[in-house]
Amino acid sequence: MSSSLPPVFYHFFRTPLPYARTLVLQEQLHALQLSQRRLGVHKDVLLLLEHRPVYTAGRRQHENSVRDEKLRLTNIGADFVNTLRGGELTYHGPGQIVGYPLLDLSRYSPAMGIRDYICRLQKTLELHLREGHGIKHSASEHTGVFLNPTTKVASIGVQVRHRLTTHGFSLNITEEPLSWFNQIVACGLADVRAGSIEGVEGRPISLMDEIPVLIERFGKLYEREMVEMDPNNEGEIGRAILEVEEIARQAGPWATEPIEAPIA
Amino acid sequence: MQSILRRTLASSNPLLRCRASLSPRAISRHFGFRTIVTKRYTAEHECVAFDETTGLGVISITDHAQSSLGDVVFVELPQVGTEVSQHDQIGAVESVKAASDIYAPVSGKVEEINETLADQPGLLNKSPEEEGWLCKIKLSNPSELEELMNEEEYQASYEH
Repeated sequence: MSSSLPPVFYHFFRTPLPYARTLVLQEQLHALQLSQRRLGVHKDVLLLLEHRPVYTAGRRQHENSVRDEKLRLTNIGADFVNTLRGGELTYHGPGQIVGYPLLDLSRYSPAMGIRDYICRLQKTLELHLREGHGIKHSASEHTGVFLNPTTKVASIGVQVRHRLTTHGFSLNITEEPLSWFNQIVACGLADVRAGSIEGVEGRPISLMDEIPVLIERFGKLYEREMVEMDPNNEGEIGRAILEVEEIARQAGPWATEPIEAPIA
Repeated sequence: MQSILRRTLASSNPLLRCRASLSPRAISRHFGFRTIVTKRYTAEHECVAFDETTGLGVISITDHAQSSLGDVVFVELPQVGTEVSQHDQIGAVESVKAASDIYAPVSGKVEEINETLADQPGLLNKSPEEEGWLCKIKLSNPSELEELMNEEEYQASYEH
């Protein structure tokens, strides 16, 4: 246990967040981390949240190539945002836990490599499924977590700049994301469909109940103490977080199902 | 081994004795001519192989970088003609769903990019510092090389 490393400060957002505004938050926190690192006072953060319905594209997908998809998908009640993370097209929305670890990989000695970082993320999710729900994942050559070769329950997509991470992972808890996932070929895998923990358990699962144990498992895999952040007492980081919380509250209700979905 | 080579060459080759600021790391045969190539490294695992006669630096990532990245599936490169400053972002590498930004070790103008990487991104894993070269920069300020690490310093920097 690397007890010499500072803790990771986490925050769970209670209201589903608009994606674009959360991306702005990530960039704010990343910039703060970069500048504070020069003085050795930067903090590692884990944000846990849900998003309002949104489809996001990865770095490889140029805006021109996804223009038609963007038009189609925004017409069914979702947002569409292009990003600079790895990975391809995916969906985020209520019923799915999204995690953004904003970590400095160079804190570890030797510095944590990217393959190692992704591996631990994947293992955190696999551990959560196993310990929390008795679900054994299906091994796959693809990054992410699968229930069986054609059912994906969790995705990973990350960006690393100067050893600082942004973006992260998503884990389907309830069945709500599924009808949205069915509108696309997610992650560039044509014969794969989305699954959820609720689907396997066959009973309603409370997303909120998943959070504390997921955080614990994250701490285990990254060998860090996990400390809850008090945004009221966390300076610039805290203020930025509270601002997004307020914007999310004021945004009102969202579509729980695709509007006039052409595919059942 | 390298230092013995350097001492032998220094005593026999008057050209080498004049190079006080940049100690040559390798002599390479290029189209029958002997050129001096200086390799320097950054803490973020970028490498520049500078050829004094052409003024071009071949930019690549190191073998250590490619092994810690995983299998490369996509490489983003700058446009030919781009002017870059040292430490500017000049591209990215994607592997295992992680997009990792690459930074310019030196300032200058991008003269050439490795087009093969579009179809064969795996070259970055197979041959990071040779066939998997990223781009060639015409250095605007070769003295920047002195701020970077030589091979020994680089290897010491990540082997804790």
